[in-house]
Parts: sequence; structure tokens; C-alpha cells
Amino acid sequence: MGWRRAAISGVGVSRQGKLPDETPNSLAAEAFVAALDDAGLRRENVDGLLTMPGTKSPEGAKHYLALGEQLGINPRITGSLSMGGATAGVLIQQAALAIDAGMASTVACVFGDTAKTGGSRFNAAAGTDTDSWGIWGMFGNAANSAFGAQRHMARYGTTSEQLGWVAVTMREHAALNPDAIMRERITLDDHQSSRMIVDPLHLLDCCIISDGAVAVIVTSPERARDARSAPVDIWGMGQGHTLEKLGRPDWWYLPHQADCVSDAYRMAGVSPADIDVAQLYDNFTISVLFWLEHAGFCAPGEAGPFVEGGKRIRLGGDLPVNTAGGNLSESYMQGWLHVVEGVRQLRGECGPRQVDGARLCLVTGRGMTLNTASCLILGGTA
Amino acid sequence: MSDGGFVRPVRTEVNRGFWEGVDDGVLRVQRCLGCGELRYPPASRCPRCLDAEWTWQPVSGRGEVLSYVVVHQRYHPAWSDRVPYNVVLVQLDEGPRLISNVLPLSGADLRVGMAVRVVFDDEDGVRVPRFVSTDGTDGATEPN
Ligand SMILES: [Zn+2]
Repeated sequence: MGWRRAAISGVGVSRQGKLPDETPNSLAAEAFVAALDDAGLRRENVDGLLTMPGTKSPEGAKHYLALGEQLGINPRITGSLSMGGATAGVLIQQAALAIDAGMASTVACVFGDTAKTGGSRFNAAAGTDTDSWGIWGMFGNAANSAFGAQRHMARYGTTSEQLGWVAVTMREHAALNPDAIMRERITLDDHQSSRMIVDPLHLLDCCIISDGAVAVIVTSPERARDARSAPVDIWGMGQGHTLEKLGRPDWWYLPHQADCVSDAYRMAGVSPADIDVAQLYDNFTISVLFWLEHAGFCAPGEAGPFVEGGKRIRLGGDLPVNTAGGNLSESYMQGWLHVVEGVRQLRGECGPRQVDGARLCLVTGRGMTLNTASCLILGGTA
Repeated sequence: MSDGGFVRPVRTEVNRGFWEGVDDGVLRVQRCLGCGELRYPPASRCPRCLDAEWTWQPVSGRGEVLSYVVVHQRYHPAWSDRVPYNVVLVQLDEGPRLISNVLPLSGADLRVGMAVRVVFDDEDGVRVPRFVSTDGTDGATEPN
């Protein structure tokens, strides 16, 4: 069952946090070396390099050139892609398709950034091709998600306290993760009394900003079975994008997220009830609610009650979500660490935060204001 | 924009008719001559049928608040002394959606579904379309 024509054989994570002596590419190289070691591969085994430039990468769309030079790779396939939080999933999908087509045998997908040290504030004015929304004071990433949160609240009665339960629960998970940046437990009161950023989103509804890098090695299922670590198969993949923004009537509700997840379920031949653990992209707490609905874990409008009290989404609950702490508390690697945590859960490597018997993990990503979305369904073999 | 002042509209061949309408106190959107679709934001071709011909069509300026936020964070120098202020997503009666504000900017009585109509506000010498609530009125009593 499942597509299973490509697999993840290695993951590597650099140091995370504030790392003022590093560059996006020095961190990317650190993650790449760690991923090779995790897979038990040599650099010479890698014949594909797909990259995501960081917010502080000077090379932009030519990022693969600089990183490939640093890593000493002359790949059969390469390129760079900037789709924000959806990029990790999209690049892994491209790697998987290239491997299935025989265009490459082992592809490294790599991201590195120094957003913390570099002072990336994610405060740019959104807008259209013709007019900046800064004319009306619309800046930053929070405002776009806050539009969705406000409408969800008005339409379904969702509350700020319910969003707070996401923040509190992700922090509980981070407290069990020695590599997480924010490990001090928070309460619902802490959430409610944290300062307002863009109403209805408080500070503790927002993800952190960090320096760091992640690398993911994708290869054939056969090769993955020779790797040092237990292989994780790709069961399903999907993408969905709303590029029209204002032109799509229900843009605020991210209809493309539902598209990307349903494609992945179909490809995997599974349903929401088969998923043991989920890594849901959480640039803001509200994003977790939207994903829970779009991925079919609850009906539209029911995600507020679903997360309330944290019982269902915490470790030991019906659907443990973001078991390493997510963008909100672990580190802001724009969704790349969500893939890593999915792999580690399916290998059974997560110690105190391990989901017993985790066999299938849903991983989602979303980026570029609200516009791009990707989904992976990963299956363990451990 | 980078001097910290008000983010001024940049007029191009494509959006000029929108801002010239605003100068004259008329909210206009593009009407596609290929399929008749009304569109905003301004674009060189119709996203529905890809036709490149259009005219500027005055609209009623009436609509409803699809969603709103209140910005507390000081993101930009021109807005720092105005926090908290609202930003709204407005659905015009004629169909197109746009980003704007409801006056007063600091107004606290916003709600999703609130009826609004356009007004033309002065921002550092530039006319900018904003909205006022018409909840509880027929919306036709105040001149612009
Ligand atoms: Zn048309």
C-alpha cells in the first residue's frame, strides 16, 4: 500500500538558535554532513542537490550554485526554489519524482538561514503586482493569518483561548526535546497576557525566528534499505496553491491546503484515521486549526474544540501534533524540521516524546503569505 | 517607501485608472471587454479569460467586511504612531475584494459581515479609498 517509490534515508540538522558566526551556507553544510552521517553515505553518493535559499541567502534563485560549490557536488539534477514553508515538501517531492524517473539516485534537499542573526523580521508589506498593501498599513506575515483567524472566529465561534491551547501544547512537546529553543513551559494565562501583535494574534500565537539548517536525503526505497538508519518511505505527496489571493473568493480559508492533503491521501491509499502522528505547519497557532480541518481530522469549523485543552493533540492524545515543538517552540526552519521530526518518529528515535507504534505521519507545509501548500505522508519500516 | 514615509501608490499604465478615479472621488475597477468580468487588483490581462482589453467601471463602493485585523506591532515608521489601527478585507457588492481600512482607523466596533461604503481619505496629500460602517443605516444618508 502507498506509493513508496522513493524514501528518506537520512536527515541532518545543524545547531539551531542564534549563531552569529555562521552563514546560511555554513549551516547548510553542517546539516548536509549530519544527514550524510545519518544515512551512512559519502558525499560522492549524492547526485542531486535541491535547495531553498534562506531569507539571508545573498544568492537568491542561484543559491544551488553557491551551495553546490561549497559541498563539492556536480549533480545530475539541481535547482533552488522559494515557496516559503511549503518548500521542504515540494523539494522532497521533486527529488522523489526524479529518483522514480531514474534521473538521479540520491538527492540532498537542503535549507539554511541566519534569519535570527540577520534580523529578518518578516514585516514586508504584502500586496499585489500593482499596489502595495502598505498603503493601508498591511505589513508582515501575521496580518494575513490574522484575517483567517478572525473570520474563523466569527464564523465558527473559535476563541483566542483555543488558539492558546496550541501554543501551550507545542511548548509541552518542546520541553521534551533537548534540541528545542523554547523549552520553558507556558500556561494559557501566559498566552492570553502576551502582547497583541496583530489582533486576534498574540505574541505567543507567533512562531519564533532562528538561525539554522536542515538537510534531507531522498533516495530509492532499495537504497534506503542499505542506509545506516531505518528507512522512511514516501507513501503520498500533494501540492495545492492559491496564486490569485484576492481573486479567489475563499482565499482566507486556504482551500488549496485541502487540495494538497487529499492528493496525498489518495496517493497513499489511506485516510485521516490511519495517521498516527502529524507535523502541521505552524507559522501561527491558527495554521494548526486550518490544517486539522483541511486534513480531515475534524470537520470544518470544529478545530477550535478539537484543540481545546490540548488533550487530543498532545503526546498520548488521539493525534499528537508537532511532537518536537514545531515552528512555535522548537525552531523556525520554515517547515523543514517538521519533516525531520516525522522521520524520527517513524524510526522510533524520539525518546520521551516518542509516539508509541507510530507508523504513518502526515507532514504539511505552507508559505508565501498564505499561497503555497505541500503535504507528505511518510511511512515507517522500523 | 524606504524613507519611512507613507507608502505611496505607484501609478502604472495598469492601475492609473483606479487612482485617477480615486482622485475624482469615484471607486472604479477594471471591466474585461472579453468576458465582462469585474476585477481588482488591476492587471494587464483578465485572469478569467486572459483578454488584454478593459475599461474602468465605477462601482457602488458598498460592500461588507469579510475579515479584519487590528495591528498593534510597529511594522513601519509611517504607521508606528497610529497603532493600534485596523486593516480590513472588503467584499464589494459587485464582487471584487480589496484591502483597506475602516474609519476611524482606531475604531473598535468592527465585525465580520459589517456593511461598509467607500470614502476618500487624505493621506499625506494623496487620496486613498477607505471605508465607513453603514451598519444600522440605509447607507445613503451621508455624502462622500
Ligand atoms: Zn475576461
